[in-house]
Amino acid sequence: MATQAKAKLVAIVDDDELMRGALQGLLKAVGLPSRAFASAEEFLKSGQQHQTACLIADIRMPGMSGLELQAQLNAEHCRIPTIFITAHGDTKMRLQALRAGAVEFMAKPFDDEVLLENVRAALDS
Amino acid sequence: MTYRVTGKWIARPAASAALRYGLAFASIAAALGLAHTFLYFHLPQPFAAFALSAIAITFWYGGTKPGIVAAALASIIRYTHWSEVSAVSRVLYDVVFVIFALLMVGVNRARSELEVRVAQRTAELTRANEDLSLEIAERKRAEEKLRQSEAYLAEAQKLTHTGSWVWEVAGRCALHLSEEWYRIYGFDPEEGMPAWDKRLQRIHPDDRAKWQQAIDQAISEKSDYEVEFRLLLPDGKVRHLHTVGHPVLDASGNLVQFVGSSTDITERKQAEEALRQAQSDLAHVSRVTTMGELTASLAHEVNQPIAAAITDANTCLRWLNRDHPDVEEAREAASRMVKDATRAAEIVSRTRLLFKKGTPQWELVDINEIIREMVALMRSEVTRYSISVRTELAEDIPQLTGDRVQLQQVLMNLMINAIDAMKDGDGTRELAVKSQRAENEQLMVSISDTGVGLPPQQADQIFNAFFTTKPHGTGMGLRISRSIIESHGGRLWAADNSPRGASFHLTLPVEAEAHE
Repeated sequence: MATQAKAKLVAIVDDDELMRGALQGLLKAVGLPSRAFASAEEFLKSGQQHQTACLIADIRMPGMSGLELQAQLNAEHCRIPTIFITAHGDTKMRLQALRAGAVEFMAKPFDDEVLLENVRAALDS
Repeated sequence: MTYRVTGKWIARPAASAALRYGLAFASIAAALGLAHTFLYFHLPQPFAAFALSAIAITFWYGGTKPGIVAAALASIIRYTHWSEVSAVSRVLYDVVFVIFALLMVGVNRARSELEVRVAQRTAELTRANEDLSLEIAERKRAEEKLRQSEAYLAEAQKLTHTGSWVWEVAGRCALHLSEEWYRIYGFDPEEGMPAWDKRLQRIHPDDRAKWQQAIDQAISEKSDYEVEFRLLLPDGKVRHLHTVGHPVLDASGNLVQFVGSSTDITERKQAEEALRQAQSDLAHVSRVTTMGELTASLAHEVNQPIAAAITDANTCLRWLNRDHPDVEEAREAASRMVKDATRAAEIVSRTRLLFKKGTPQWELVDINEIIREMVALMRSEVTRYSISVRTELAEDIPQLTGDRVQLQQVLMNLMINAIDAMKDGDGTRELAVKSQRAENEQLMVSISDTGVGLPPQQADQIFNAFFTTKPHGTGMGLRISRSIIESHGGRLWAADNSPRGASFHLTLPVEAEAHE
């Protein structure tokens, strides 16, 4: 049970506090445990990346961007199914993210049902 | 007829010497002739009477010496022609001739003295007359000069819209009001100097107290005064006046009068107002242009809390739609929603304020608050280019008087410049905004970047109008920023940042400065 719970951890990386709160609240409402990080650096430093079953990340953040975080995780052989949520994503960025292993690339504001479906899919994979 | 004055005597014309002596002989000959004519007609023998007349005529017209000659001649002739006369009567005749001659000498002398005196008096009068005409001419010239000078002064007053005046303190009445003064105040000079009350009525009701206070203070302190106020003329026209007055004291130091001038500065005021409006319009255009560059970031900035609000609203519904609604969780989601919406509203109002066009609003502002607001507004923009922002705000900074929107604009311009300088470069990208107290009641704000730095050899030109290093720059940003800071009584300058990039520093006085 413990390992299963660990494996089902959803990590949220977003520099916006309101967004982090909203995502955490949503996951809590559907009974999914989550942890939020204000930056990519904070997430990498926490060591939680190895217990993370799904990553929800913003692309544009001060310091390391979401795409850079994804690249870093890939480099560390820590491929986490990642859902990007961004306000201004263009097609090029979207393709780049998907090629690097992203599960989904969503624009803000997003449909919570679609997000949850993606999260569940990531957790089941 | 002129006489040459030599001492007391007047020299008669030399040419008449022969004539004068001739007169002696001729007159005595005439007397002799007349006497013989009388004798011929057996009339009483009157030679003595005729001779005396001849002597008198010769003395009078011929002078003393010919007169004496005539007297001698008469005596000889009487003796030679009328020898029958007794010895006594002969002597008597001679005595009469001598006395008469002496009397005539005296008469002649008196006449000569009189003539000298008359000549002198005439000369004096002539001189006085000449002096008088000179003086009259001089006075005329002076009057002409004065008239001319007054005309020049009136012309100068007209050109500079300056009226001069003098008023008496005790009676509160005018002693002098120039033509231009009448024109400015809209009074008719033909009707004479207007009464104090009438004059007071022309002052704009809103400015009367200010004017009165300036005058009262000058009277109590016996000091100069200077006041700007408006006139409200009967036709509804408003004039702006600048008046300076100087006290006049009597010998014992009592205040007697004020003398001074009033200048109509309406045109200058209007020009200043137009300039201020033009500057404000230009600043607005520049601001809107700058905001246009930020559209994407601003949209993102608003989008963020809206996205959060939608998610929180959905979450709230999920808690409520359960078989057993969890009100506590729903409440939490709802309060997050309130925060989200508040944030979105804040961003919108902050942005709208910058788009707003209007005349500058001077108020007390907290520069740190303005910095924080602008950093918040720029958040998306800096994030977009992976720039980190460091703020070091001194907490003990006093407020200053200024136009919030314009100061925000300056900070926005400087921050956008900093971002532009860094977005294409390598290495650390750091935007530092610092506020601190400076000397002389000033505060200083510094905005430093680690970008490409100031254009080499052109560091002085960056504040010039239309100078830009950006492909789509207007070249007005820094120019306008500097004029905004200067209108706040401060300074804005640029320097190189160490080890790389540029720093912009601005100072602002914390005391309210004149900003008109």
